[in-house]
Amino acid sequence: MFEFFFKYPAPVFTKGKFILLGSWPGWVLLLLIVASVAGLGWLIRSRLPEAAPKMQTWRAGAVWLLQSLLVSIVLILLWQPAITVAELKSQQNMIAVLVDDSRTMAIPDSGNDGKTTREAAAVKALGDDRSGGILSGLQRRFQTRVYRLDGGIARVQSAGNLQPTAAATHINDGLRQLAADTADLPIGAVVLLSDGAENEGGINLDTIGALRNRRLPVHTVGFGKEQAGHDVEIDEVNVASRAMANSRMKAAVSFHQRGYANARATLEVRDGDKLLASKDVTLAADGTIQTEAVFFNAGTAGVKRMQFSVQQLAGEENLTNNTTARLVSVSGDKRRILYVEGEPRWEYKFIRRAAEDDPGIQVVSMLRTTENKIYRQGISDPKELADGFPVNAEDLFGYDGIIIGSVEAGYFTPKQQELLREFVDKRGGGLLFLGGRFALADGGWGASSAAELLPTFLPSGKNTFHRDPATAQLTAAGADSAVTRLLDDPVKNVARWKKLPYMMDYQDAGTPKPGATVLAEMNSGRSRLPLLVTQNYGRGRTAVMATSGTWRWQMNQPLGDPTHDLFWQQLLRWLAEDSPGRVQASMSVQRLMDTGRVRLTATVRNKEYTPAPDAHVVAHAIGPEGSSTLVDLTPVPNNAGTFQADWTAEKPGSYVVEVTAARGPEELGRDVLTFERTDGEAENFHTEQNRELLEKLSSETGGRYWKAEELKRLPSEISYSEAGISVRDTKDLWNMPIVFLLLLGLISGEWLLRRKWGVI
Amino acid sequence: MKLLQAVMIAVIAVVFCTTLLAFQRTADWGYQPAQSNVKAEFAWSRLSYNSNLGYSGYGYGRWATWSRDYPKADRQFLIALNRLTRIQGRPTEQVVNLDTDDIFNYPWVYAVQVQTWSFTDEEAKRLREYLLKGGFLMVDDFHGTADWENFMNGMRQVFPNRPVEDLQDNDEIFHVLYDMDDRFQVPGEQYIRTGRTYEKDGYVPKWRAIRDDHGRIVVAICHNMHLGDAWEWADDPEYPERFASMAFRVGLNYIVYGMTH
Repeated sequence: MFEFFFKYPAPVFTKGKFILLGSWPGWVLLLLIVASVAGLGWLIRSRLPEAAPKMQTWRAGAVWLLQSLLVSIVLILLWQPAITVAELKSQQNMIAVLVDDSRTMAIPDSGNDGKTTREAAAVKALGDDRSGGILSGLQRRFQTRVYRLDGGIARVQSAGNLQPTAAATHINDGLRQLAADTADLPIGAVVLLSDGAENEGGINLDTIGALRNRRLPVHTVGFGKEQAGHDVEIDEVNVASRAMANSRMKAAVSFHQRGYANARATLEVRDGDKLLASKDVTLAADGTIQTEAVFFNAGTAGVKRMQFSVQQLAGEENLTNNTTARLVSVSGDKRRILYVEGEPRWEYKFIRRAAEDDPGIQVVSMLRTTENKIYRQGISDPKELADGFPVNAEDLFGYDGIIIGSVEAGYFTPKQQELLREFVDKRGGGLLFLGGRFALADGGWGASSAAELLPTFLPSGKNTFHRDPATAQLTAAGADSAVTRLLDDPVKNVARWKKLPYMMDYQDAGTPKPGATVLAEMNSGRSRLPLLVTQNYGRGRTAVMATSGTWRWQMNQPLGDPTHDLFWQQLLRWLAEDSPGRVQASMSVQRLMDTGRVRLTATVRNKEYTPAPDAHVVAHAIGPEGSSTLVDLTPVPNNAGTFQADWTAEKPGSYVVEVTAARGPEELGRDVLTFERTDGEAENFHTEQNRELLEKLSSETGGRYWKAEELKRLPSEISYSEAGISVRDTKDLWNMPIVFLLLLGLISGEWLLRRKWGVI
Repeated sequence: MKLLQAVMIAVIAVVFCTTLLAFQRTADWGYQPAQSNVKAEFAWSRLSYNSNLGYSGYGYGRWATWSRDYPKADRQFLIALNRLTRIQGRPTEQVVNLDTDDIFNYPWVYAVQVQTWSFTDEEAKRLREYLLKGGFLMVDDFHGTADWENFMNGMRQVFPNRPVEDLQDNDEIFHVLYDMDDRFQVPGEQYIRTGRTYEKDGYVPKWRAIRDDHGRIVVAICHNMHLGDAWEWADDPEYPERFASMAFRVGLNYIVYGMTH
């Protein structure tokens, strides 16, 4: 129909350039059009007084408009309008036909009956010499090369032999490979027959750039339903890759469904066969991505493969996309926290007791029992803290966290206060200040050099510590914080905190600094004060717990109530868990999908936590079937203390990589990474036709997205391309049927209107 | 009419007995010292318990066994506590009992003459929970074999199965503040008159304890000694200083231990 009116196919107009072949300049045309339109307007206006009354209204304007259009078109035609467009030379170009043969193409949701596999529908669309498919249409004017597309591309003699069994769909890699492999061939266009289920999520700019450089249009042909009828699919799982033994972990599981809106489903977390947690959820509306938090215990030390799943529902079309897994490295190392306390008090005892029940925490404490005596507990060595609070970085930085109890700032020398700052800023440790009669403002901390470490601006005066009851309550931030989580449900958690026994005392910690987070507040009489405030500082973190009276939560609740110990264990873990070791290893991705390429990075610091560029860093990777590889990491230029290596995990499976840094015979430290290479699993997800990706790919490259039923026109329209060997053709526009119809329509339109108005 | 008289007499008798009991348990017999309202971290708590001697031990009268040496011993000890340590101690003592949950606000408690204590099931349960949650009990001033058995009768109501062990010199409780390897028997005030360091058949001081599941001492037992008297009579020129010093060191060590373990 389009060609009937416009003489040429649509791509001529979308890809061509409009020109005027007339010898007179274009501005003359513009001038004449303006003059004609203005002249007609003046003429009609000047005759209005003599015209029939009916014509003295908007009707005169309509006549002026129609006549102006008519004159303008005629003037344009006099300038010989044409369009110039690049067109592939017949029999001198190749068309690359890429047929997706990945596993998702075996889904039977295509064809007229909706039960033909995507692959069969694609092969049928291509056809052969006898069936008159697009392949034969293309072959009349071009040579064709057929490729199968899965993890990459490979040339095949005939599409009819393709089996949709490949474990991956990497359209991005395939197109980049095509652009590279055919650099010396006159490829005129690319036809991609696929469901668009790209495993890596999208087409990156490099690939688009490579195609654009060659001006290669990619015409995409989509197969498969764009929306599943009945399916639940996990989209993403966000969970920490490292955890301390027996820590409470939180995973955010995102999923969507089609066909089961408002149905009930069960979300599960398993470690092998062991069920760690389950949660009943109500499914959201079709296609809406729903994120649910699920809590579970990390368990004992080791590398865990945590499986997250939404239990299968009756009638699901795809049963392989309900489960996904993540590796979690659970560390059995104890985090060491130095607790400095200025006076014997109950809070000290009960914090220590809570920590003693946590196998992941070791509290090393120094308590001033008298003016001149320090009682040490939890020490690993008789010499540890024998001389009091450490005076050098090497000794202090061996701890992961520090608690300052009821101790005056003046108890620490200026050098020790500076060490405290460096402990947080440079070493990345956690520092917690407790309330007390010698603590915070009453201990002179507001005027000390360590004041900047505090997450609050302390009151300027003293007497901020009061031995009066205060009750605790959570803020919005605290309701769902891992530190203050007594119950998983945030609403119930808030209610639980309100029921806690009152604390024996409280201290005014001042006002929170910008960037600090108030997790809990306390009520004492009419005033509401911050209770637990945290903030990040440098590489570490600091907090204030403005009371020394939480021990009543232990003594005044039923025997066995875990509240007090749980809170303190969580706070102590927050304090120390993220304190980095001297060697910190990381990798570009935690989960490798259908590829083994990975970049290992390690930052190495010495005992004072300054970069150690002269270290020797080795990664020892242990993979599936006990395979073992040693990889040397090399220093990264201009980034002291950072080392990198590119490495390939050859086989699918789980890998444990231990990165060790040494300087001569002295080991500086080590760190352990875990990751998993999964081949073929990504193909189970996002199995609906990704039309958006196919449309975007074609529009970015100058091609077009085609439905299977439109393909008859593809062989003729594909030739308008600037790639390969092409010529620029000039096509006259004056003789388009639409032009004559338009002129005729304008003249007859005016006549018909005049007739209707009776003013002929 | 006779029936009415009998009922009236019975009612009056019940009211009288109830009033008398309440008075015995709460009344000021002229011996009860004023307690302080000063707020401090540590409150010296003395356990008031019901005696098994056939009369109420709850009052402050001379028959109340829990109040032996009270309050002078407590207050003299608190002077030492505040002077010798960084513990902020309330200048006066706190009397607690097992009738209410108020005892849970005082995680360290001292009891004497414990051969006379007796508990109802509810009181025994409350003391057991107190100790297992983190409370600390120091018992003192009971002597000899018979006293021990009577003490254990009450203790078995609290902890039917937890063993009592003899503390060794290297136990942390003897080193937490003062190193106390060379301990000796601390006699009561009667030493001034008799020259004997023991009472009844308690010739050898027994430093004993009951621990919780984590191995922490929750009941410290000072058997065959009278530390309370040593604190009380520390200012008596006739009472030997070495006994008083030992008693203070023991008490301070036990408090610091109770506040750190």
